[in-house]
Amino acid sequence: MKDSCSSISRLLEKYFDQEPTDKERLLVESHLQDCTACKGALKSMEELRTAIKVPVEEALQKEDFPWVWQNIERQIRLQEKLTWWQSIRSWLDISPLFQRKVWIPAVATAAVLLFITTQIIFKNTSSYPGASVVEYVESETNNVMVYDLEKAKVTVIWLFEGPEEEALPS
Amino acid sequence: MKRVVPLIIFSSILFLLFTSIAFGQVHTRLRVIRASNVGSDVDASLRDVHDDLGSLFSFTSYRLLRDETLSLSPNRPVSISAREGRIIMEITLVGLHGSVAELKIRVARKGKDTLNTQVRLSPGRTVLIGGSKLSEGVIIYAFTAKF
Repeated sequence: MKDSCSSISRLLEKYFDQEPTDKERLLVESHLQDCTACKGALKSMEELRTAIKVPVEEALQKEDFPWVWQNIERQIRLQEKLTWWQSIRSWLDISPLFQRKVWIPAVATAAVLLFITTQIIFKNTSSYPGASVVEYVESETNNVMVYDLEKAKVTVIWLFEGPEEEALPS
Repeated sequence: MKRVVPLIIFSSILFLLFTSIAFGQVHTRLRVIRASNVGSDVDASLRDVHDDLGSLFSFTSYRLLRDETLSLSPNRPVSISAREGRIIMEITLVGLHGSVAELKIRVARKGKDTLNTQVRLSPGRTVLIGGSKLSEGVIIYAFTAKF
């Protein structure tokens, strides 16, 4: 290594990082033409960078930075003491499902249908006006008897026919 | 357009689901029975009718002629014919109040009404309509709720 190598070595890292001035770059490049030691030092720097760069890039690819950032963002928001409404909004913002505005009309439609159905169901299950099983019974041709067997939950409607009205089933 | 199609499908499914709950059919069991004093045969499936009518009438034989489940829709009459269409029983669901169904029943013989009635049928309740003469016995219609 030449005497000037000590002064060039200070500039070598700057040159390697592509940060020297034009004057410094010319000085380093003219020195490297004649100095194998400094050339070797520059080559070592390149090898070191390559050796570090590959595993770091692999590790970066594995890392889910958007998710990490979302967590960080949420932590920041929590520290800002958000209102309950802002908290809900921030929670919804991180869920891609809720970001789709297509759910808004769907939920609105479901709510309307639910409202209509409950109205119908409540109308049907309203208090029943009477307790009698037979609301009415009438016959213009025969006498009719209605008998309730409450214990057996049976109601009998009996039609008294004359002998000339005999009937047979199909 | 891609967003509208699933929305329409989703809404249609919800609509069908809710309307089927709200406007469901009512299922009623109808047994057509011949009761007489000829013999002493009681069909196994008619023990309940025999026990119920025992205190009112003294029939010794109960034979099952027909057993079916009627699917009744509101205001849509269902007809059951007997004796080659000379006797017609028409059953119509006219109301549904929770678990109580209102049935309008019309019995006609040779085109002339012999009985008109409206009954409230609830789960566990049986309504018997009988009295029409049938050779040496009578015919009985037994309605039982199946809802």
